[in-house]
Amino acid sequence: MKGARLSILGLTLSLPPLILVLVFVGLPIVIGFTFSLGFTKGPNRIISIIGQQIHVKDHWWGTFAAYSDVFHDSRFLGDLGLTLFVTLLSTILVILMGLAISIYQRLIRSKQASILVTLAIVPLFVPVVISAWAIHTFYGGDGFLRSFFSQFGINFPTLTSTSSAIVIGSVWTSLPFAILMISSGMQGIPDALIDAAKDCGAPIIRIVSHILIPLAKTPIIIAASFTAIGILGSFTIPLFLGPNQPTMLGVEISNFFGSYNRPQQSLVMAFIVFMAASGIAILYVWSNVKSAKESGRI
Amino acid sequence: MMKTEDGMGLELRGLKKILGGRVIIDDLDLSVSKGEMVSLLGPSGCGKTTTLRMIAGFLAVDSGQILVAGKDVTALGPDKRPSAMVFQNYALWPHMTAAKNVGFPLKIKGLSKIEIKEKVEAALELVNLLHHKDSRPGQISGGEQQRVALARALVQEPDILLLDEPLSNLDAKLREKVREDIRELQRRLGITTVIVTHDQEEALSISDRVAVMNSGRIEQFSSPQDLYRQPQTEYVATFIGSLNRFEGDLQNGQILGGTDVIGIRPEDLTISREPMEGSHSGIVELVIPRGHFFEVVVRRKDGIFRAFASENIPTFGEHVHVKIKKALRYQNGKLVA
Amino acid sequence: MRTFLSPTRLLLNFAVLLMAFFILGPILWLAAHAFVSGWQYPNLYPSGFTLSWWSKVFVDSALKTAIKNSLILSPLVVLLSMVICLPAAYAAGRMNYWGRKIFMIGIFSANSFPKIGLFAAIATLYYTLNLMGTFVGVMIIQLLGTIIYMTWIPAAAFAAVPRNLEEAARDAGASKFRVFRTITLRLAMPGILVAIVMSFLASFDEAQGSYLVGAPSIYTMPTEMYSLVQNYPIQVAAVFSILLALPSVLLLGLARKHIMGGQLADGFQLK
Ligand SMILES: Nc1ncnc2c1ncn2[C@@H]1O[C@H](COP(=O)(O)OP(=O)(O)OP(=O)(O)O)[C@@H](O)[C@H]1O
Ligand SMILES: [Mg+2]
Repeated sequence: MKGARLSILGLTLSLPPLILVLVFVGLPIVIGFTFSLGFTKGPNRIISIIGQQIHVKDHWWGTFAAYSDVFHDSRFLGDLGLTLFVTLLSTILVILMGLAISIYQRLIRSKQASILVTLAIVPLFVPVVISAWAIHTFYGGDGFLRSFFSQFGINFPTLTSTSSAIVIGSVWTSLPFAILMISSGMQGIPDALIDAAKDCGAPIIRIVSHILIPLAKTPIIIAASFTAIGILGSFTIPLFLGPNQPTMLGVEISNFFGSYNRPQQSLVMAFIVFMAASGIAILYVWSNVKSAKESGRI
Repeated sequence: MMKTEDGMGLELRGLKKILGGRVIIDDLDLSVSKGEMVSLLGPSGCGKTTTLRMIAGFLAVDSGQILVAGKDVTALGPDKRPSAMVFQNYALWPHMTAAKNVGFPLKIKGLSKIEIKEKVEAALELVNLLHHKDSRPGQISGGEQQRVALARALVQEPDILLLDEPLSNLDAKLREKVREDIRELQRRLGITTVIVTHDQEEALSISDRVAVMNSGRIEQFSSPQDLYRQPQTEYVATFIGSLNRFEGDLQNGQILGGTDVIGIRPEDLTISREPMEGSHSGIVELVIPRGHFFEVVVRRKDGIFRAFASENIPTFGEHVHVKIKKALRYQNGKLVA
Repeated sequence: MRTFLSPTRLLLNFAVLLMAFFILGPILWLAAHAFVSGWQYPNLYPSGFTLSWWSKVFVDSALKTAIKNSLILSPLVVLLSMVICLPAAYAAGRMNYWGRKIFMIGIFSANSFPKIGLFAAIATLYYTLNLMGTFVGVMIIQLLGTIIYMTWIPAAAFAAVPRNLEEAARDAGASKFRVFRTITLRLAMPGILVAIVMSFLASFDEAQGSYLVGAPSIYTMPTEMYSLVQNYPIQVAAVFSILLALPSVLLLGLARKHIMGGQLADGFQLK
């Protein structure tokens, strides 16, 4: 940032949320990381007593025993595969839907467009527990879809407890944020820039691919990264909608921590998900910084 | 300056546009010769942009016809019309370099990379911006952006060039220079051009002919000279330049009662310290320097005169005599000879 | 033009219908269950209508406690979040100080750690701090989820207030504080409002963390849902869902214009 200066006031005002985050996010993560490496003293003492299959460090830097546990667990590998698959597919679907609706809304001002956007925002206001449960009942054994199709003698499959249901649930809950981001980006593009392209003889497809999408690139990447990070660590949706085995890592982390009482392995999984999420977060920050540079803000 | 023998560059026939339930453009006709530069001049909200956008194809006409270079383009969209537009805020795509911006229309046309490069460089050369070909719009000045926009329009080799207030975002000094550049380029390329402006000085100095618009109609379409010397309507007479306006009748230099409107250009008044035949006497109220001449405001017993003087300038409070050399007479807003 | 449009329009109406079905179908289907006595596959119609499930919810003391907990917790969390975050948001939006960007990204990174993993990590700390199963413990968990909204969105809103409006007010003789109150705060209000709504929803809807550190001693409405769906008939869950969704729907009415107007989206573009 150009012209940034040292300001005691600015720093002081930023302190309260920063301290909160450092103490209750940063610190637990660091402590959790040491615990995953087998440090069982100090703040990790109580959890080490409660938990089972705790590995204690055998080098000065700790041990990878818990990591090795996890990577040799065939369940974990299945979970990881499912998690990555669901995240990738759902994110792609969400972004495609977001693009389609926002681009349509940007190019043609019609009632349909605003209805579509309004509909897509609705899930923002539904608590995720309810969303998950509503989708569960809708696509479940006694659900509407099955009852409806049975009227015509069609045996519609029960989708709950399948990975399809997780994708449906993830798309459902992630859509609002993505639409808000992308459509706001598209709405911010001045008419003249689109008119200028039309004047050059560009067909709609070209306008979308060469003008609209590049100009809304930053909000699109923000939407994609937030969506992916959210789905990657999701818990309630896969818990209610997914199969028992394999399940998404969010559920498995909770199972290992609670039901199986293996907190060390649970944390190892959390760090693996964190690594993936960090990769996506870096993409987000990079895109933000790049767009700031291009517009001459930095 | 009119080159009617070359045929028509642009023809508007009975153009009509209704927006939001209001008739914005009503039965508008305009014929522009090939290679001619024409201004649409008028106050804010008179429908200049609307007209230009109909020519470019961004707005569909409600009735009427648009012909460009003899071809009826009324039913075509902006992408299919042989026109190119320079937008008021330039509308350069911020994510593309100057060269990419200029090259975009060629890319759409499906030209080869080499051809595009050649034409883009030629176009940027034309506007003296080749050294900025890899700069993005955010990195160059307003005047330079303006020229990139111009290059992007010219590179399409359009039959007609449309400019919507292309200079309004530039400072006064730059405005004059860019205006001359545009005019010089337009002459050199012989391209039919329509430029929208609300600045009369700009319109008068740059165009072959000026169309003065008033609430959706063209009041007068003629050369800058005629527009000033022979304003066909009272509206044009008051809109262009300054005017001494009286209601009444003029006989032997004297203003009598009546229902006509008399308009006198300030330079058509002679000021003298001595009385002249049919002159009016009055007191100098104001002397305003206007560069190489002065505007003198003289108060008479029933009104004021604004006159231009370049020598023997009277001073404040002096008693002077004013004589009317030439006057325009309007009946129901129309000029009577 | 018209004839060209009509098949497209048909397609569009179909898309709108499909979207309505996809988004609203599950909610309406669940909500309808609150008023029926039974609804079994393969019947498209319920076996009968009843309101009896509603009384079940209102007499069950566990459910009532959960409602009470939620209604106390969330406003408290939002208030606390405002006190902690708004000054920081103002600084981040208006001052160009060294470390500003790191602060914003830091707040963001806190959000990119998978929630459930973070809660597991926090739980280990909570054991040590004796916060497990306490009201304060749940409150902190919920507070964490509101921080990103309460800093980023108001920061963007503060940054967007035109300086010359403030200067004009100063010029007109208003004191610094008065300018802040009548101009800066007023113009940033829509953004702050959206932040409040989003924070409230984040807190009110937070389930995973509150469950992990709160259960079995502290239940909120969403965490109660976890056990509800296992131990009660679906109709009770439906009634409870409607109750749980009420505050959100009310807030929707309040802030919809600003949220759709881009305040939320603006908040997430790093400036
Ligand atoms: N979409 C619209 N709906 C209704 N009225 C409109 C619309 N667009 C323009 N108008 C009206 O049409 C009139 C002409 O507008 P136009 O933009 O052509 O004016 P203009 O001569 O270019 O003015 P300016 O010099 O201010 O740019 C104005 O009164 C304007 O309010
Ligand atoms: Mg205009």
